[in-house]
Amino acid sequence: MQKTNPNKFLNISTFLSCMLFAMFTYAQTTVTGKVVDEQTEPLLGVTVLIKGSSGATTTDIDGNYSISVANPDSATIIYSYVGYATMEVPVNNQSVINVTLKEDLALLDQIVVVGYGGVKKSDITGSVSSVSSKELSAFPVLDAAQALQGRAAGVVVQSNNGGEPGAPISIQIRGNTSINASSAPLIVVDGFMGATMPQASDIESMEILKDASATAIYGSRGSNGVVLVTTKKGRNGKLVVEYNTNYSIQNTANELDLLNADQFAAYQTQIRANNGNTTAYPQGPANTDWQDLIYTTGSTKTHQFSFSGGSDKINFYASANYFDQEGIVINSDFERITFLSNVDAQVNDKLKLGLNLFGSLGTKNGISTQSTGLGGIGGGGDDVISLAMRYAPDQPVFNDDGTYNSGNTVGDLVDNPFAIASERIDETKEDNFRGNFYANYEIINGLEFKTTLGLSSETLKRGTFSPSILEVTAGAVNGRAAITNARERSILNENYLTYKRDIGKGKLTLLGGISYQKTTTEAFSAAGNDFLSDSFSFYNLGSANILLPASSAKSVTEIQSQFGRANFDWDDKYLFTATVRRDGASNFAKNEKYAIFPSAAIGWKVSNEDFLKDVNAISNLKLRASYGVTGNPSIAAYQSLAEYASLYASSNGETVSAATPDQPANPDLKWESSYQTNLGLDLGLLKNRFILSLDYYNIDTKDIILPNNGIPEYFGYLNDGILTNLGEVNNKGFELALTSRNINNENFSWTTNFNISFNKNKVVALINDADVFADGTPSYFSHDQSTILRVGEEVGLFWGYDYAGVYQGGALPAGTATLAGGVAGDPLFRDIDNSGDITEDDRTTIGNPNPDYTFGFTNNFSYKDFDFSIFFQGSQGGDIFNLTNVQLANGDANTTVDNFNNAWTPTNTNTNVPRVGNNSNREISSRFVEDGSYIRLKNVALGYNVPSELLSKFRLERLRLSVSAQNLLTITDYSGLDPEASYFGGGSVNNAKRNTIRGFDFGNYPTSRTVTFSLNATF
Amino acid sequence: MKTYKLLLLLIGVSIMGCSDLEEDPVGRLSPDGFFQTPQDIQTLVNGAYTHAINEKFWGRKLSVALMLRSDMVDLASNETRRMEMNDLTTLGNNGMISEFWPKTYQGIAAANEAIVGAEDVDADDVVKNPIIAQARFIRAFYYFHLVRQFGDVPYLDRPATVADATIGKTPAAQVYENIIADLEYAKEWLPDTQVTRSIPSKGAASSYLALVYLTMAGTNDTAMFQKAFDEAEEVIMNEGLYGYDLDLDFQNLFNADEIDASPEPIFALDYNNFEAPNNGYDQIAPMTGIRGDDRNSGGGWSVAVPSFAVYDTWNASDYRRAVSMDDGASINGNLEFYTNFTVSGHQFAKNRPYIAKYTRYPGAFARGNARATSHNYSMLRYAELLLIAAEAAVEIGNNTAALTYMNRVRARARMGGTTLVAGVTTTVAPSVEPAELPMTYMVTANDVLEERRLELAFEGKRWYDIARRQLGATAFGPMGLEGAKSDFSTTDYLMPLPADELDRNPNLLPQNPGY
Repeated sequence: MQKTNPNKFLNISTFLSCMLFAMFTYAQTTVTGKVVDEQTEPLLGVTVLIKGSSGATTTDIDGNYSISVANPDSATIIYSYVGYATMEVPVNNQSVINVTLKEDLALLDQIVVVGYGGVKKSDITGSVSSVSSKELSAFPVLDAAQALQGRAAGVVVQSNNGGEPGAPISIQIRGNTSINASSAPLIVVDGFMGATMPQASDIESMEILKDASATAIYGSRGSNGVVLVTTKKGRNGKLVVEYNTNYSIQNTANELDLLNADQFAAYQTQIRANNGNTTAYPQGPANTDWQDLIYTTGSTKTHQFSFSGGSDKINFYASANYFDQEGIVINSDFERITFLSNVDAQVNDKLKLGLNLFGSLGTKNGISTQSTGLGGIGGGGDDVISLAMRYAPDQPVFNDDGTYNSGNTVGDLVDNPFAIASERIDETKEDNFRGNFYANYEIINGLEFKTTLGLSSETLKRGTFSPSILEVTAGAVNGRAAITNARERSILNENYLTYKRDIGKGKLTLLGGISYQKTTTEAFSAAGNDFLSDSFSFYNLGSANILLPASSAKSVTEIQSQFGRANFDWDDKYLFTATVRRDGASNFAKNEKYAIFPSAAIGWKVSNEDFLKDVNAISNLKLRASYGVTGNPSIAAYQSLAEYASLYASSNGETVSAATPDQPANPDLKWESSYQTNLGLDLGLLKNRFILSLDYYNIDTKDIILPNNGIPEYFGYLNDGILTNLGEVNNKGFELALTSRNINNENFSWTTNFNISFNKNKVVALINDADVFADGTPSYFSHDQSTILRVGEEVGLFWGYDYAGVYQGGALPAGTATLAGGVAGDPLFRDIDNSGDITEDDRTTIGNPNPDYTFGFTNNFSYKDFDFSIFFQGSQGGDIFNLTNVQLANGDANTTVDNFNNAWTPTNTNTNVPRVGNNSNREISSRFVEDGSYIRLKNVALGYNVPSELLSKFRLERLRLSVSAQNLLTITDYSGLDPEASYFGGGSVNNAKRNTIRGFDFGNYPTSRTVTFSLNATF
Repeated sequence: MKTYKLLLLLIGVSIMGCSDLEEDPVGRLSPDGFFQTPQDIQTLVNGAYTHAINEKFWGRKLSVALMLRSDMVDLASNETRRMEMNDLTTLGNNGMISEFWPKTYQGIAAANEAIVGAEDVDADDVVKNPIIAQARFIRAFYYFHLVRQFGDVPYLDRPATVADATIGKTPAAQVYENIIADLEYAKEWLPDTQVTRSIPSKGAASSYLALVYLTMAGTNDTAMFQKAFDEAEEVIMNEGLYGYDLDLDFQNLFNADEIDASPEPIFALDYNNFEAPNNGYDQIAPMTGIRGDDRNSGGGWSVAVPSFAVYDTWNASDYRRAVSMDDGASINGNLEFYTNFTVSGHQFAKNRPYIAKYTRYPGAFARGNARATSHNYSMLRYAELLLIAAEAAVEIGNNTAALTYMNRVRARARMGGTTLVAGVTTTVAPSVEPAELPMTYMVTANDVLEERRLELAFEGKRWYDIARRQLGATAFGPMGLEGAKSDFSTTDYLMPLPADELDRNPNLLPQNPGY
C-alpha cells in the first residue's frame, strides 16, 4: 500500500474506504453503502454513526461510506444530515446498507432558539422569524444586520448613512414603539445580551423574536424585539475546512445632474437680475465637476477560513475573517479582522462544557458627511457630499498658488469638498472581544442546570484632524485635532434550571433562573488647536498651542433579574406558554427600581385534530395568540439623580471651576412599557409546499419618556429636557410571510419567498397632549421645527408650509399667500390662518415618513449545478424630505439642471418651480416633500457548483463560484440620490436614536451599486 | 461527579453577588453635600457668570436682539425671529426670546444656588460674604435685564421647588426693589477692586445702582434721578480708589488685547480663552461682519448692519465713527469702499458701512469669522457712568455737572488714536469734533441721550434708552434712522413673555399688553 497522503484535504474518505475494502474484504465487521436523497442524488458528508459507540464516518462525494461494526447482529447505524430527517437502520448482519434520506421539507421539527432554550418550530406560540445562514451570506456585508433587510416580516433594516463603509445599521422591529428612546432591538449572540454582531458567514441562524410571548423573557429590554444569533458549531464527523472569498466592485448608484460653470454663471446672473442687481455674475476660471472629484470606484474584499469538526466528546468551529472596503467616496474605507471559535465538550453523560470566543479589530477612515454642524464647522462645511452639490462649479480645486480653493462664490464660506475629503482625517478604531463560557449539568433525568459566565469588552478610539490648509475649517485656528476614547465592559452571569416531564399526553417544560449583568463605560476626550505642523495628525496634542477642554466620564449600570417560563403541550394539539421576568436596574429611579414583565400565549395545532388529520392538502395548521408586557429601559445611568453641570469658564485668563444646576432629582422616573397582543396563523399545504404565516399585532406603549416635563424655564435648570413618563404610542400591524416551492424535481427547482409588513402607528398621549416639535434639518438652515408629534397622528410627521404653486402676479389665488415681499414667480403657500401673509402660523403637517408597508421578494432557481437568485426589497408610502433640494433650490448654491430649466420666468409660467432667487429662504414646505416609495433589486446572484468529478482532481469536496450584483436597479419617483435616506438633523448624534426624525435626506453617503465575485471552497 | 457539582455551584453563587442597585455617580457633580468650602460657593458663582457669555445671552441672541430692536442696527437677513425683532413684530414664540429667557434664568439659578448653598459653608463672614456679594450682584445683573425686557416676571431668590411651578409674576416695582437690595449688599461686601473687571467690585455695584435708578426714573421721576446722580457721583468721587478712568484711545475699548489693561471697564464678561462647547461662544463679530471680508478667516455673516443714516450721525471727523464703523474693507484682495461691498455677491451683502467694534481686534483665540472671541466685552464702562451722571444732572437741574461729564466724554473722543482702516494700522490725529460744549451751554436730556447713542453705539444700550425714555415715536417715526418702523407701538417697550412658558405656568398670564 502506498503511504497515506498527509494532506487531509484530500478526498480522504474515498481513499480510506478503498484501503479498508482492500484490507478487510473478508471481515464480517465492515458495512458499506450509499446514501442518497429522494431524487437519488448522492449526499456528501452524511454522518454515519454506530449507535452507542464511538465509531463514525461520513459519506464521500458519491454518497459512499464504509464503517466497521463490532456487533453486526445487534448494532444500529444512525445516518444524519442537516436538513434531512435522521434515520436509524439495524445492521442485522447486512454488509451493504443503502439509505435514502428524506428531506425535512419545512424543517418543522428544527429546533428554534428562543430565550434561554430551544423550542421545536412547530411548538412555537409566539411570533418568531428565522433567517438562515444562506440568506445572511447571500452577498457580502460588513454588518450581518444588513443581510436582514427584506428577509423577515416586520423587520425594517436601514443603513444610517447609505453605503458608507462601516455605517451604523439600524434595525427596527414592528415600528416605532417609542418616541425618544432607541428602537433598536436587543441583540443576543449565543446567550450574551447586548453583544456585537458576529460575521454573517459565522452565523448558523438568526431568530427574530417579535411578540411579547417571545420577548417578555427579556423583560425590560424586550420591547424593541430581540435578535437571537447562534454562531456555527462543529459537527460530529470529519474535519471540514472552508475557504470563502469575494471581491466586489462598487460605484455610486446615482449622481445629480448639476449645472456646469457656464450654466451656473447664467443661473447666478439671473438670480441677480431677479433681485434688481444688473451686474452679471463674474464667472470664475474653472469648470469643476465636484461630484466626479469625490466619487470613485470602490471595492470590498473578503477572505474567510474556517475549520470545524468533532467527535462524541468534542465539537469545535473556528474561523478567521478579513474584510476590507474601499468606499465610493475618496478616502473612506473600512478594514476588519474577526476571529470566532466555539468549543463544546461532552465531559460525561451529564456534564457539557463550552466556550465561545469572538474578537475583532476594525479601522474606519471616514469622510465627513451628513452635516451636523458639530465641531464648530458651520454652514454645512462638514459635509463633503452636499458640498459637492453646492459648491460653485466655476471655481477650481486649487488656487494659482497651489492652495485649496475656498472661495465659494455663493452661500456660506466653506472649504471645497475635494479639499475636505482629501485632507480631513477621521479615523475610528474599534476592538471587540467577547468570551462566553457555559456548563450544563443534568442533575436528574429531565432536570438540567446551566450556568454561563460571559464578558465583553469594546474599545473605540476616534481621532480627527483638520489641517490648517483647510482654510475655513481650521485655517484660523491653525489646525485642530481631537481624540475620543470610549470603552465598554460588560460581564454577564446567568444560572437557570430547565425541567422536562411528560404527564400523560402532556409535555411540560419549566424554566427558572437568575441573571446579573454589569456594564461599565468609560470615556475621555482631548482636543487642541494651533499646531506647529500639519504632519502630526492627532498624535501630538501636546504640541497644541491651545488645548481645548478635556473631558472624561464613567457610568455603571447593573441589572439583576429573575425569570421563568412554563411550556405545556397537550397531545401535540394544545400549546401553552407563560413567561415572567423581574428586572431590577441601577439606572431605574429610586422609587421604581424593580419591574415585572409577564406574558402568556396559547397555540392550537388544528391540523393535528382528528377532523383534519386525514385532509392531505393541509399538512400544518396552527393558530396562535399571545399577550404580554415588555419594557424599554430608556433611562441612562444617573439620569434620575439631581445634578449640577460643570461649565467651562475662565476668569482673568485662568480656567476656573464653574457649575450650575442641571436637573432636579426625578425619583419616579421609570421604564417604558409595551402591552402587546399578537394573533397568528401558520399554514402548510400540500406536504408543506406552501407555507404561510400571518400575524396581527397591537402594541400599546405607555409611560413613554418625554423630555421637558413642563418644569418652567424660570426654574433655571440647564437641562431643558427633564424627563417624565407621559407619552403613549400605539402600533398596529399585519405581517405575512410565504414560502412556496413552486417546482422541485431532479434537475430543476424554483422556490419563492415573499414577506410583507404593514405597520400603522399613532401618538396616543403627550405631555398635556400638546404638540411636540423637533427638527431634522442641518443646523445651518436655522430652522427649529420640521417635524411634529401630535396626538392622533403618526410619529414624526413633517411640519412646514403647504406649497401651492407659483405666484403668477396679480390677485393672490384664494386661500394662498406669499412670504413677505412676494412678487410674480415667488412660491405660494396655503394661508391657513387667512391672515393674507405667510407666517409661522401657516405651518401644517406636510408629509408622513412612515411607510405603509415594506416587503421582500426572493426567487431561487436551481438547475443542475447552477443556481440563480433574485431578491427585491421595497417600501411603499413613506415620504422623504429632500433637504438636499432645499439647499439646491435656494440660490446660494449650485443647482440641478431641472431646477434651473423649469424655474418660473415671465415666459415660462406654466411650471411648479418658483423663479430663481425667489423670496424664500430654505423654507420648510411641502415643495420638497416627495414620495419615497421604491422597489429595489437588492441582489441578483448566479452560482455554479463545480461538479464533483472535476473537483476530485483539485482535492476539493465542494467548490462554488458565483457572481452577484447588489442595488442594480431601483424603481422610484424620488428625485434625490437614494430613497433609503436617513439624515438625523444637525447637532447631537443622539438624534440617530430618535423616532421623531425620520425620512430626511441630506448629505447621505451614497448607496453603492455593486458587482460581487465569490468563491466558496470546502476541503 | 461531586466536584463538578461543587464547581458549578461555586461559579453560580460567587458571581451573583446581590447588588442593592444604588447608583454611585463617580465623576458627576451631585448637589448633595456639595457646599463645603468658600471655593464651592465661588464655583456656582462662576457658573452664574458663564451663562452670560453664552451664545444664547450676550454671545448673540440677546445682544443682537437688543441691537436690532433699536434704531441703530438694521437687519440684513430674512430669518423670521430676527425680522420680528427688527420690525417690532415680535411674537410670543420668537426664536431669540426662547433662547435668552431660559439662559437668563439659568444664570439666576446658579446665583441662587450659591447664595443658599453658602448657608452650609462654615466660614467667616469676611471670607464668605464677598463671594455671596458676587452672587447677588450677578443675580441683580440678570433680573435687571429681565425687568427691562419684560416688566413683571417670575422672581425666585432661592432654588426652585415644585410649588414654584405655579407662582405668578412679581410686579416690576418689586423686582426693582430686590435688584437694589442685591446691589446694596454687593456694594457693602465687595472689595474696592478685583483682579479683573469681570469680577464685580464695589464700584461695579455702585455704578449698576446708578443705572438702575436712572432706569427707574423713566422720563420724569426727579427723586430717582437724584438717586442716580448721587450714586454716580459717588463713583466719580472715588474713581481713583476704584481705578476708573476713560481710556486714552477709544479703540482700546474694542481691542481684545488691550481691554484687560484698560481703566475704563466697570463690569465685563470674561470670554473664554478657548471656545466653549455647544456653540456657546460669542458670535457678535460674525453677525456684524462684512461678507467676503478678507479678515477673520472667512469674513462676516452680514446680519446686523446699520442703516446708512447711522453712519452720518457722527461728525465725519469724530474718531468714534472711525472706530465704530468700517466704511472700507479688503474683499477678495481688493480694497473696496462701502459703496461696493456687494461685490462679494452675497444675497444679504449691503453697500453700507458696517459695525466695526467687534470685528477689528477679536483676539488671538477667535476662530473662523472671528467667532469665539477672547474679547472681554464691557457691560458697563466709565464713559457710560459719566453719561449716567450727566443725564441725571440735567434732570435735577445741575447743568454744571452735566457739562463737565459730557465734555469729559467728548474730549476723549477728540484725542484720536490708532485704529485699523480696511485692515491697515492707521493713526488718526486729534480732531476738533466732537467740539467741547461751552460753559454757557444748557445741556438737555436729549443731548445726553444722543451722546450715549454715539459713544455706546452697538453696545446693546440704545434699545434700553429708547424704552426707558419713551423715544419710540421719534426713533421709529419717518425721520428715524431706519425710516418708519410702521409696526411700532408703545407696547413694544416690553417684549412678549415666551408663549410656551405661559403654557407651562398659566399663572404667569396675562401676556404683556399688545401681544
